[in-house]
Amino acid sequence: MDKKMSVMIVDDEAIVRESLFHWFKKYGHLVETASSGFEALEKLETYPFQLLFVDIKMPGMNGIELLEKIKSDYPDTIVIIITAYGSIESAVKAMRIGATDYLLKPFKPDQLSLVMERISVQEKLVSQYNYLKGHLDKITRFDNIIGQSPAMEKVFSLIPEVAQSDASILLAGETGTGKELVAKAIHAESRRSHLPFIAINCGAMPESLLESELFGHQKGVFTGATRARKGFLEVVSGGTLFLDEIGEISHKMQINLLRVLEEKKITSIGSREPVEVDFRLISATRRDLKKGVAEGIFREDFFYRINVIMIEIPPLRKRKEDIPLLVEHFLKKYCQETTKYVDHVTRDAMELLRRYDWPGNVRELENAIERAVVLSKSRTLNVEDLSFIRPPDLKFSKTLSLREMERAYIRQILEDNNWNVTQSANVLKINRVTLHKMMKRYRLKRP
Amino acid sequence: MTSKKISVGVVPLGEVPDITLQVIADHITGCFKLSTHILPLFELPENALDGRRLQYNAAIIIETFESIDFGSQDKIIAVLNQDLFIPIFTHVFGEARQGGKCGLVSLYRLAKNSDGSIPPESLIHERAAKVALHELGHLLDLLHCEHKKCIMHFSGAIDEVDDMLMNLCEYCSIYLRDKLR
Repeated sequence: MDKKMSVMIVDDEAIVRESLFHWFKKYGHLVETASSGFEALEKLETYPFQLLFVDIKMPGMNGIELLEKIKSDYPDTIVIIITAYGSIESAVKAMRIGATDYLLKPFKPDQLSLVMERISVQEKLVSQYNYLKGHLDKITRFDNIIGQSPAMEKVFSLIPEVAQSDASILLAGETGTGKELVAKAIHAESRRSHLPFIAINCGAMPESLLESELFGHQKGVFTGATRARKGFLEVVSGGTLFLDEIGEISHKMQINLLRVLEEKKITSIGSREPVEVDFRLISATRRDLKKGVAEGIFREDFFYRINVIMIEIPPLRKRKEDIPLLVEHFLKKYCQETTKYVDHVTRDAMELLRRYDWPGNVRELENAIERAVVLSKSRTLNVEDLSFIRPPDLKFSKTLSLREMERAYIRQILEDNNWNVTQSANVLKINRVTLHKMMKRYRLKRP
Repeated sequence: MTSKKISVGVVPLGEVPDITLQVIADHITGCFKLSTHILPLFELPENALDGRRLQYNAAIIIETFESIDFGSQDKIIAVLNQDLFIPIFTHVFGEARQGGKCGLVSLYRLAKNSDGSIPPESLIHERAAKVALHELGHLLDLLHCEHKKCIMHFSGAIDEVDDMLMNLCEYCSIYLRDKLR
């Protein structure tokens, strides 16, 4: 027991207090005594004793009552109960309330030594836990966003800064870089954190549905509108609205949203009564919106309205130094979820992971690790376990027609990206809608 | 450890073999480099006997001895053949308070091995010397030590006493040297 502790002995018998006082002094601990529960509580108010030895039988406030009070007011304080053979039931009760251990009087000196040894180990573990948690918090700040590369450090430093204002934020980054996580982190750090965070993927729904989702509608305004429904712009009420894939919305929707941002009022479909709204807008895009503005695809006024502050989230290929950290995180995550024990990655496998360009970014890496953990037969992931992440093999048979070759290639890319259409479209450098059309044409479906 | 200023008196409490007292005194001189004197026999204080436990209360003996004037002796190691306890513990091999004047060594439990067999006399003497050095260490303000072989390591069982070496670890030696300087 190398760590010196602050100990208080609480017993109404002076001889017991004195014995233990001198015993603990020999270890160099800071020792104090109290002859009653009340005196102990008084002393605890003035000094944070780490460890208390409490006799169960005491006049006035007994040991159990004192233990209850300590555990309610100072839950981190360790309490050891001292009891006579006759009151073993009280000792069991004390353990249930939160005593760390109990000693039956009289005990052998080495029993007390053993108890102190156990407490010392426990204290060491707690201190190690706190140290590691602090270290982990530094690396995994803001929920699940992991990275210690300079590029991510920049993002981490921006989050608390921008969170304090109400300015609209545009998150720019490729698919799978973690834009929604950053949006959530900004929301969590903001004064709106106790209010709703609503995320909508603008690219995932047709314009009419998106309009209805955002603005709400009155009963009977269109087929299927069997009852009035509030839009998310109203539901979010004071919170943060996250519009993902903002680059996909139509001109008309851009105008509608621009008006909302300027007037802070919405009118639901079929209504003439405007409703005041209050929300913080965070948008995200994987497109180059500036280019969209130059090409006339995206409205300039809307672009500047949503882009008061821009945060660029780097693609994984530009922060490859974060890959080992991410791999470690996902290994832990999927080991817990799958109850498999895979905690190592061979050097070659890690090299493969670092070499690959990860067009689907962190999401693709996560999927790859999940798949590898599920299929792995040992606790170490090797190159074979990760063979599926190799870049597509372009050596097709020379007997294939162009149509067959195109089908096979698209299928391979889809498989490599776990049938994620957005990711696959990104790899193929075509529009997502185009890929959907091609999948339909070639009858490609997730198995 | 070169100080000769501190003198340690070795006192028999009741009937104790002379050879045991001599071994203890010699080890104190040899290990701690302190001068020692074997003093005449003292009777055990009657009030120290706990009639219910049939053991002698170390706290009472120490309190009694702390008030006795031992002349030129700075520290006292009292040796007895009776079973010793301090309230709350079942037994102790010896007892002393940090920076106190008087330490106790009980031979009672040193004369038996953990398996119940009887050890040779030389081993009993060795154990007595170890307990005496340990208690004297506390009188000289040394704390319990982490090193299992150090004489200041706490030993709750007789096997642990046997595991200890007859000297201080490097850190405790430095601490003692500074104390005695």
